[in-house]
Amino acid sequence: MEHILLVPLASHSQIENTPSREDGMPHGLEEDLRAYGCKMIHEAGILLKQKQVAVATAQIIFQRFWFVTSMKHFGIGDIGMGALYLASKLEECVLRMRDLINIYDVLLQRETHKVKSHTHPQTKKFHYTPMSYFGNTFYDLKDAIVVSEMQILKRLGFNMHITLPYNTLVNYLRVLGLTDRDDVCSRAWGYLNDALQTPVYAIYSVPTIVTAAIVLTTRHLGISLPSTPPDCWWELFDADWEDVWIVCGHVMRLYRQRSVEDCIRVAALINKKSVREWLEKNPTTGDQAMAVIRS
Amino acid sequence: MNYIQGRSRTTNEIVALKEIHLDAEEGTPSTAIREISLMKELKHVNIVRLHDVIHTETKLVLIFEYCDQDLKKYMDQHGDRGALDPMTVRSFMYQLLKGTSFCHENRVLHRDLKPQNLLINRKGELKLGDFGLARAFGVPVNTFSNEVVTLWYRAPDVLLGSRTYNTSIDVWSCGCIFAEMISGVPLFRGRDNQDQLLHIMRIVGTPEDRVLRKIATESPEITLKQYPRYPKTPFQQVLPKASAQAIDLLERLLQFDPSKRMTATEALSHPYFTGTTNPSYGLTPPPGSMPPPPYNFPHPHAHQQPSQPQPQQQQQQQAQQVPQSQAYTHAQSGIYAQQDAARLAQAQAMAQAQAAQAQAHAHAHAQAQAQAQAQAAGYGGVQYAPPQYAHGR
Ligand SMILES: Nc1ncnc2c1ncn2[C@@H]1O[C@H](COP(=O)(O)OP(=O)(O)OP(=O)(O)O)[C@@H](O)[C@H]1O
Ligand SMILES: [Mg+2]
Repeated sequence: MEHILLVPLASHSQIENTPSREDGMPHGLEEDLRAYGCKMIHEAGILLKQKQVAVATAQIIFQRFWFVTSMKHFGIGDIGMGALYLASKLEECVLRMRDLINIYDVLLQRETHKVKSHTHPQTKKFHYTPMSYFGNTFYDLKDAIVVSEMQILKRLGFNMHITLPYNTLVNYLRVLGLTDRDDVCSRAWGYLNDALQTPVYAIYSVPTIVTAAIVLTTRHLGISLPSTPPDCWWELFDADWEDVWIVCGHVMRLYRQRSVEDCIRVAALINKKSVREWLEKNPTTGDQAMAVIRS
Repeated sequence: MNYIQGRSRTTNEIVALKEIHLDAEEGTPSTAIREISLMKELKHVNIVRLHDVIHTETKLVLIFEYCDQDLKKYMDQHGDRGALDPMTVRSFMYQLLKGTSFCHENRVLHRDLKPQNLLINRKGELKLGDFGLARAFGVPVNTFSNEVVTLWYRAPDVLLGSRTYNTSIDVWSCGCIFAEMISGVPLFRGRDNQDQLLHIMRIVGTPEDRVLRKIATESPEITLKQYPRYPKTPFQQVLPKASAQAIDLLERLLQFDPSKRMTATEALSHPYFTGTTNPSYGLTPPPGSMPPPPYNFPHPHAHQQPSQPQPQQQQQQQAQQVPQSQAYTHAQSGIYAQQDAARLAQAQAMAQAQAAQAQAHAHAHAQAQAQAQAQAAGYGGVQYAPPQYAHGR
């Protein structure tokens, strides 16, 4: 029987023209900020020893959010915290707000330091200063978590149904007779995790993404599978080759060489205030981005 | 949390408003998140319909279809010392299993079935409510919370510590509710986890060691203790009033071993429902519900409502002319109302103010193309956890 708890995917127009792009943010910058926010969620998850399912769920929620909201209105740091907090409730491994705040404070201070030492090379080595009990940081971050969680729920219409890909991967590898190859399993698993830094889970179905992870893995390890029509292995999984290829592209873009400037630019745009300032200083870029889309 | 009775301006339907305060310490309560995300999708006659959600800075207001009372209160008021007549029991039991089976077919565990969470409306329809502990189980997660289901309705596998339980825990609760409707008192009334387990064993009998070990292998989180050897007490002795078919069904629902428990869907075609002992029910009951209890369903709280509003039909005709505004006004009375004029007025004003917004966000993700994703069971079978970000930098 058909299940009614469907996994929502972004619509074509949401993908073509995300709210951030409508506000003038170039496509590449949005892509970088999405990936960066997900990396922070991942790091926070490790430091908090959170279950991997909760971390993956948080990253997918985070990616979905930017199809309904612009980064001009919410920062990737705040939404990342809110998504991780919310996902932990959904996965029944609730985080203490104080722990989450402390961890994000470390991550945020580290980013600030990274930006500072780039502009001022004399800056000392990173040293974490625990937040003051009397300062506002704690209350500001706490507020940010509550607001972000609520905004995520509200803007995504409380639709929190998420399917993680790991199960499907195991089944597909079994069908392909690859389960006893540890290198295949761990590499494909890794691609699925890396894909969490891209928007693919909000755009494509799990079978498509899992197929893409297997394509990347088998190509990398030089394993050949039947790939000439009419015997194409991915058709077993109802995956459309074109979609699979696009997912592969999203993942591979994560590994491209990046300039120091690109990395610093991202680290400096974690909150919405800095994003707004950036958009004001770079108004033409937005128009150019629009022009590219229109042409 | 507060319940307030209200009336929809759009449809003139009476609705129940549930207010949930957002907590500065914990944000949006998990129960509200579960309840909303699941109930929005679960549309069935035997499940309380969630019409809308109003979201403000400080609270959430859930707008539910209104039901007159919960099963607990119904039994107190209409039962013979709580015990319902066999026709009503059969009708309610059928509807309970219908709603439960619908949840399970849609991969939702309710996890808190008990008389207080089952609502009965004037038509004699029974509806599952309070999805605050429910969760979707298609999501491949191997461990669930063990803190589920109110003690007296909690399945023995959960009492033993299982975190890998499934739909059978709801079936256990259904069995407990069945017995309670027949006798008027809860079947197993333990004081704590351990005592509850002993109460169960005293009636269904202590399972053989072999069975206990098997249950523990299926759910490795379980740690077994020494239990007194109780023989099985025949259900006929516990529930002398029950028919042979009722006892047979109860027996199948209250199996200690979760893998032996009947499913809710199977239970619907048990001879207790389909049998010909009572000619007033055909072989195939009408979809959604058994006929309501055979007696004229009395108004549950007539004595509390001297000024009952106009008859339903007239209200429905008026409804056609009401402008399309998503606001809710409050009815004159209601047993769930907190008789607090200030709060009612406030909620009403808020409902109006938030109406447009509520509609907007309800459609926020409406364009999203939905797509069912193939899912497979057994995440627990994954033995290895490859390094994360194997290829990331
Ligand atoms: N739709 C409704 N119409 C009328 N009354 C309702 C409705 N929903 C709930 N009630 C009444 O309010 C009571 C509490 O509702 P509900 O179980 O949803 O909330 P809860 O208090 O959060 O649950 P719990 O106490 O079990 O955790 C119910 O037992 C029932 O008597
Ligand atoms: Mg309740």
